[in-house]
Amino acid sequence: MYLLRLAIQSLANRRFSALLTVIAIALSVTLLLAVERVRTEARSSFASTVSGTDLIVGARSGSVQLLLYSVFRIGNATNNIRWDSFQQISQQPQVKWAIPLSLGDSHRGFRVLGTSQAYFDHYQFGRDRSLSFSQGQPFADLYDAVLGADVARELGYQLGTEMVLAHGAGAVSFVNHADKPFKVVGILAKTGTPVDRTIHVSLHGIEALHVDWQQGMPARGAGQISAEQARELDLTPHAITAFMLGLNRRIDTFALQRQINEFSGEPLLAILPGVALQELWSLLSVAEKALLLVSVFVVLTGLVGMLTAILSGLNERRREMAVLRSVGARPLHIFSLLLLEAVSLTLAGIALGLGLLYAGIAVTAPWLEQQYGLFMPLSWPTRSELTLLACIVAASVLMGCIPAWRAYRQALLDGLSIRL
Amino acid sequence: MSKPLLQVTDLQFAWPGQPTLLDIPAFSLQAGERLFLKGPSGSGKTTLLGLLGGVHQPQRGEINLLGQSLGQLSALRRDRFRADHTGYLFQQFNLLPYLSVLDNVTLPCRFSSLRRERALRQQPDLNTAAGHLLRELGLSDITLQQRSANALSIGQQQRVAAARALIGSPELVIADEPTSALDADSRDAFLKLLFDECAQMGSSLLFVSHDTSLATRFDRALSLAELNRASQPETF
Repeated sequence: MYLLRLAIQSLANRRFSALLTVIAIALSVTLLLAVERVRTEARSSFASTVSGTDLIVGARSGSVQLLLYSVFRIGNATNNIRWDSFQQISQQPQVKWAIPLSLGDSHRGFRVLGTSQAYFDHYQFGRDRSLSFSQGQPFADLYDAVLGADVARELGYQLGTEMVLAHGAGAVSFVNHADKPFKVVGILAKTGTPVDRTIHVSLHGIEALHVDWQQGMPARGAGQISAEQARELDLTPHAITAFMLGLNRRIDTFALQRQINEFSGEPLLAILPGVALQELWSLLSVAEKALLLVSVFVVLTGLVGMLTAILSGLNERRREMAVLRSVGARPLHIFSLLLLEAVSLTLAGIALGLGLLYAGIAVTAPWLEQQYGLFMPLSWPTRSELTLLACIVAASVLMGCIPAWRAYRQALLDGLSIRL
Repeated sequence: MSKPLLQVTDLQFAWPGQPTLLDIPAFSLQAGERLFLKGPSGSGKTTLLGLLGGVHQPQRGEINLLGQSLGQLSALRRDRFRADHTGYLFQQFNLLPYLSVLDNVTLPCRFSSLRRERALRQQPDLNTAAGHLLRELGLSDITLQQRSANALSIGQQQRVAAARALIGSPELVIADEPTSALDADSRDAFLKLLFDECAQMGSSLLFVSHDTSLATRFDRALSLAELNRASQPETF
């Protein structure tokens, strides 16, 4: 115990270099823990990009592909689902609600999603959060559109803005639905999910856009149907891209999934969003692991800096060691003293690093949640964080042995007085 | 007929790869004796003090302190034995600059429970014991005692070092040129204080110096050159 006091007082005597060492370790610890936190949070936030949905159904393809186009609006479906298949499945007794999804159009690079009122009622993300409107309300008229938060912000659209949708998903399209403009009636609150980058219209609206199209090309001349004429027609969609299902009882999920996968009308695929999200994340986790690896090396750099500082000071401290020997300190005491010094510096670095981390979280948490949908609570260190910290302390003990051993050897050679 | 406190017989020592540095057939120190050992620098005196402290081991011969042969002890027990029974006092820079004067004085009691026990025999706690010794050595200023050790003058530092060598009444005090950095007046005053305290503690004093003018004040004076057969000038 007295040795610890000696170590700390000796460090305090060299406070400038000690402080620099502590700061270097603290910064590296902060980086490591921040990466670990963001990594964990990003994974769980990714896993809850969509929540409360029990099954996602699309034309038969891969589960990751289905997830990508239905939830992330990336890529395209290989095939559509017939409207009557959707009707048939959504009327099953196990089904509580169904959200139809129809993709294929865009507006200045943002995807347009045709859906129904059920989307605003049942779609959930994060920890069971529902969609909410920052302005306006859901679409009611055929040519109404509801914007995600990013769409409205980036394009500067407000309620009442008129917009022309384009056929296809590209940022620049040569085929516009210029004859049937849509009007913004609602803007959703920020979610931190792909919903923010989506333009929502009704299924009937999507149908109206394409009602006069033949063989994938807009009609010309007399075949054209105007926006007002389209209102008179039966706009029940013929096909949709995918749909989401919420069940009455979660236990029915697997039975219904099997039933859909064996559906006789057309080849369909039903996936559990949580499982598919995990599968997708495992593809992305290489980058996340690389980031962690880099911050581990930054911590090692901090510890090597400490090692350098202690080692380079050893020669000047030979007299200190000789004095300690002359008052009765054994070489083992000298060894312990140097080791305690390394561990004290590391512990001080960890404490300061944690302080910086929490200060950083306190300052940036609201912004992170708003911008990226990352929820960063001021919580106690998790088990994996504590494991990382324990590894740092263990590494400092191992590294501290190097100067401790050198001081030990030197103390044996020097004895009680040094010959300079 | 009392047994000497310290007895050296047939001691031989050489640093690895070097000729024999010390060859001392016999040397002893009685309990309570004040012995002056003349040794110019380079005569092997620092090595001899290291041998007496059990820090180095002789190639031949025996060192007997308090009836205990140092060679028979393990390195660990030699260290402990030294901490328990020997107080050291060096030329300069004796103190740890980052500790207060009081903490410097009590240091030996942190590493030797025997000296701690002895110090606490007369005083309620270590700081009082250290304060008492410092007062005896003329450093009665309380604020000075709490100050950091390197804020003191060299004369004051040497007195603090003396208090540290004496705390816990070690049987043997070894002083290696403790006065060489002091001027004549403070040297005399320092010696007197050191003698008084050694007498009070009942400690023997082995005082090594090149300054023969001090020799007359001791019970006995020896020259390391005469003791050491290895140092006799070679004749052709």
